[in-house]
Amino acid sequence: MEPLIRMVGITKTFPGVKALDGISFDIMPGEVHVLIGENGAGKSTLMKILSGVYQPTSGKIICNGREYDQLSTKTSVEEGIAIVYQELSVINELSILENLFVGKLPTKKFMGLSVVDFKSMREKAKVVLEQVGLHHDPDTLVGDLAVPDKQLCEIAKALVSGAKVIVLDEPTTSLTTSEVERLHGLIRELKAKGCGIVYISHKMKELKAIGDRITVLKDGTYVGTYPAAEITLDELIKLMVGREIKGTYFADESVDELMTHPVIFEAQGITRSDRTCRDISFQLHEGEILGFAGLVGAGRTETMEAIFGAVPKSSGKVFLKGKELHIKEPYAAIKQGLGMLTEDRRKLGFAKNFTCKQNISIEPYIKESTWGGLGGMLSNAKEEKWANEQISALNVKCTGPEQMTVDLSGGNQQKVILGKWMAAGSEVLIFDEPTKGIDVGSKSEIYILMRKLAKAGKGVLMISSEQTELLSVCDRIAVFHGGELKAVLEGKTATEEDIVRISTTE
Amino acid sequence: MSDNNTNKGFSFATFWQRFGTITILLLLLVVLAIARPNAVFSSTSIPQILRQSAVNILLALGEFFAILLGYIDLSISAACGLTGMCSALLMRANCPWVLACIAGVLCGTMIGALNGFMINKTGLHPFIITLGMQTVYFGLMLVVSNSSSVYGFPAGFSKFMNATLWGVLPVGAIIALITAGILWFLTARTKMGRNLYALGGNREAAWYSGINVHRHQMLVYMISGTCAGLAGIVLTGRLNAAAPTAGTGYETFAIAATIIGGTSFFGGVGKIPGVVAGGLIIGIINYGMTVMMIDASMQKVVMGALIIIAVTLDHLVSTSAKK
Ligand SMILES: Nc1ncnc2c1ncn2[C@@H]1O[C@H](COP(=O)(O)OP(=O)(O)OP(=O)(O)O)[C@@H](O)[C@H]1O
Ligand SMILES: [Mg+2]
Repeated sequence: MEPLIRMVGITKTFPGVKALDGISFDIMPGEVHVLIGENGAGKSTLMKILSGVYQPTSGKIICNGREYDQLSTKTSVEEGIAIVYQELSVINELSILENLFVGKLPTKKFMGLSVVDFKSMREKAKVVLEQVGLHHDPDTLVGDLAVPDKQLCEIAKALVSGAKVIVLDEPTTSLTTSEVERLHGLIRELKAKGCGIVYISHKMKELKAIGDRITVLKDGTYVGTYPAAEITLDELIKLMVGREIKGTYFADESVDELMTHPVIFEAQGITRSDRTCRDISFQLHEGEILGFAGLVGAGRTETMEAIFGAVPKSSGKVFLKGKELHIKEPYAAIKQGLGMLTEDRRKLGFAKNFTCKQNISIEPYIKESTWGGLGGMLSNAKEEKWANEQISALNVKCTGPEQMTVDLSGGNQQKVILGKWMAAGSEVLIFDEPTKGIDVGSKSEIYILMRKLAKAGKGVLMISSEQTELLSVCDRIAVFHGGELKAVLEGKTATEEDIVRISTTE
Repeated sequence: MSDNNTNKGFSFATFWQRFGTITILLLLLVVLAIARPNAVFSSTSIPQILRQSAVNILLALGEFFAILLGYIDLSISAACGLTGMCSALLMRANCPWVLACIAGVLCGTMIGALNGFMINKTGLHPFIITLGMQTVYFGLMLVVSNSSSVYGFPAGFSKFMNATLWGVLPVGAIIALITAGILWFLTARTKMGRNLYALGGNREAAWYSGINVHRHQMLVYMISGTCAGLAGIVLTGRLNAAAPTAGTGYETFAIAATIIGGTSFFGGVGKIPGVVAGGLIIGIINYGMTVMMIDASMQKVVMGALIIIAVTLDHLVSTSAKK
C-alpha cells in the first residue's frame, strides 16, 4: 500500500537549535501512527512542517505522489491534512460554529452571488459536534468554554473539512477518561474510513490502546518505528528517556499516621459568587499530597481560583497553619504564601514577551515586593540565580535563561511556569494539571519534586484529570461532582472505578 | 525586551528591532543635510529642533506607557493643552510662576487619575474613554479661557523657559530628558516597570501571577497625565502664550513617535530610549518640512502616512521574526 504522506530526511534548524535532524516519517491509510519522545524532541515541529506553519531547512514531503520541498498552510489543507495543535488555536471571540469553519466557510449561489451557506454549516457542525461529544449550543462563544471543551472544539474543527490525514498533537491533555474513550472510538471510525492519523501524547497508556505503529524521536533524531502490538510500555519508556521509571510516589507513612500530623492548610465552606463550586471544605496535613479528581466542570479549578482570589467568592474561609488568610486578589494570596500553577498555560501561564529568566522571576519578585506589588527594585544577579537554579532543577530544555519562553516546546513551557512558583518558595502550592504535556521522564521528576516539597513541610494540592497519576501520587483524593466535594478516598487503596463512580453519580 | 543572544547570523528582523529607530534618525539627518545644508548643523538650528521635539518627546513618553499595556491614551493632547491653559491663567491671576507650573503638572496627574479611574470602573476599552475625555478636556479649555488666548506672563517664566544650557540645550529639552531618565529607571530597574511589561504581554496571566491590573492601569494613566502636564508647561513656555486650541492633533504625533521608537502596538514590547529617539524623529520631520517650506496642511498628510508606514513595518517585522 502507498503511504498517504511521506516525509523524507526532514531537517529543521531554529536560531541556535537543531530541532529536527534528518527525520523520515510516513502515514499509511487506515492506521494510527503514534509519535512519541521527550519534551523538546521535535514532535510538534515535525507536524508543523506538515501543516505548513514551519518550512523545513532541508528534506522532502511527498503527498499523494506529489513531491514538495516545503508546504504552505494552503497546500497542506489542499492535500487533505488537518492538524489539532498542542496549544489551543481556537478563537475565543468567535462562536463554536464560526470556529469550526474559520477560513473555509461553505458558500452557495444566491441570485448570482456566492453567499455563506449557514444551513449546510449548521448541519455539518451538528454532525461533528455529536461525533466529538461537545454538547454545547453551536452559537456559544468559545471563550466561555472550559479548557477540555475547547480541546473538543479544536478536534471538531479538524474533522469538519473531511481531511484524509489528521494530526492530533496531544489531544487529550485535559480530557478525562470517558472523553478520551469517546475520542478513541471516533479515531477508530476514521481509521475504518481509510484516514491516516498521527497521534502524539505523553499519556503512555493511550498509545498502546490506540496506536498501530509507534515512532520514537529523541533530541530531534530518529530512534525507530515499532509495531504497537510488539513492544511493551517499559521498552518504549526506555527508548524515550533511557532509564526506568518508578511506579508510585506515596508518602512513607500511612494515611492514618499522616492524619495525626498538624493541619497546615484548610479551606472552610468555599462558595464562589457564580456558584460553580459550593460549600467546599478540606484539610491538608503536613507531609501529605491531597489530590482532586472529578469530571470537567466539577468545580475543582473553580474552587482553587476562589481560594487563590482570582475570582470572587461569596463565602468561605482559608487557613494557613491555623491562621486565617484574607485574600481578595492573587497578589494577597502570593504574599501570604500560596502559589497556583494554572491549568491553561497559554492563556494564564506566562508572559509571551518574556524570556525564561524574566518569566521565572515574576513570582519571586512579587513575593518580596512592597506597596501592593508596585514597590521594589530589579536585580539581575537574583534573576540569574533563580533562572539557572530552576532550569537545571527542572531540566528545562532551552538555549539558556535568555531564550524566549514562547519558543520552547509545550512541555518545557510548563516547566518554566512550574519554575516560577518553585523560585517563589510558596508555603502551599496548588498544582492544576501540573504534568499537562510533560513527558514520562519529567513527570516522574515532578512527582518526586512534589513529594520532596510535602516532606519539607510545604502544602501540596494537585488537580489532575489523569486518574492513574492521582492514584500513584496522592495520599488522599477528594472527588468532586457538580460543584460539590462528594468523598475523600485513600490514594493507595482507591481504584479508578471508585473515582469514576463517585464523579459521575449523584 | 526581546534581546535574543542566541541569534547567529544576520537577520533583518532582529537588526530592525534593535537599530531601526536610530537608522531612521540618521537617514533623516542625512537627507535634510543634503537638501538644506545650512539648516541643520548651525548654532540656531539644533536648539530649534530640540525645542520643537521636547513637547513631542514628553507626550510620547506618556503615550508609551499606555501602548506598553496594549492600550492607548488619546486624551494627552487635550490634557497638554488644558494644563498649559491652567498654568497660564494662574500666572495671569498673579500666582507665582513656579507654583503655577507645579499646579499645571499636578493638574495633568489628576487628569490621568481620572482617566484611569474611569477605565477601571467602567471596564471599557481605553480607546473609548480617552477619546471621550479628549473632547471633554478640549471643551473645558474653551470654557476656562473664554475661547481666547492667554498671554503676558511674568518675565521670570518667559526667561526661564527660553533659556538654553551651553547655548544648545533648551530648558524644555532638559525637562524632557530628565523625565525620560526617571521613566527609563522606572521601566528598566523597578518591579513596577517589569510588571507593566508582563501586563502588556498577557494581562490575564499577569493577574494570576499576582499583578494587580487595576492598580497598574491607574498608575500608567497617571504617568501619562503627568507627562502631558509637563508638555503643557513646556508648550506654553515655547509659544509664550496659551491658545484655546493648543495641543490639537498632538496625540497623533505622540503615537507615531512611540511606534517609530520601536514600541509594539500590540503591547509588552518597547524601551524608553527608543521613544525619545522617536520623539526626536517627529521633531526633525516637522522642522525639516518647515525649512523646506512645505505648508502646514501638507505636513499633516506626510505625518499620517508615516504613522501607517511605521505600524506596517512593525507588524511585518514581528510576524517575519516568528518564521
Ligand atoms: N519557534 C521556535 N524558535 C526557536 N526554537 C524552537 C521554536 N519552536 C520549537 N523550537 C525548539 O525546537 C525543539 C523541538 O520543539 P517541539 O515543540 O517540536 O518539541 P515537542 O517534541 O513537541 O515537545 P513537547 O512534548 O514538549 O511538546 C525545542 O528545543 C524547541 O525549543
Ligand atoms: Mg509538542
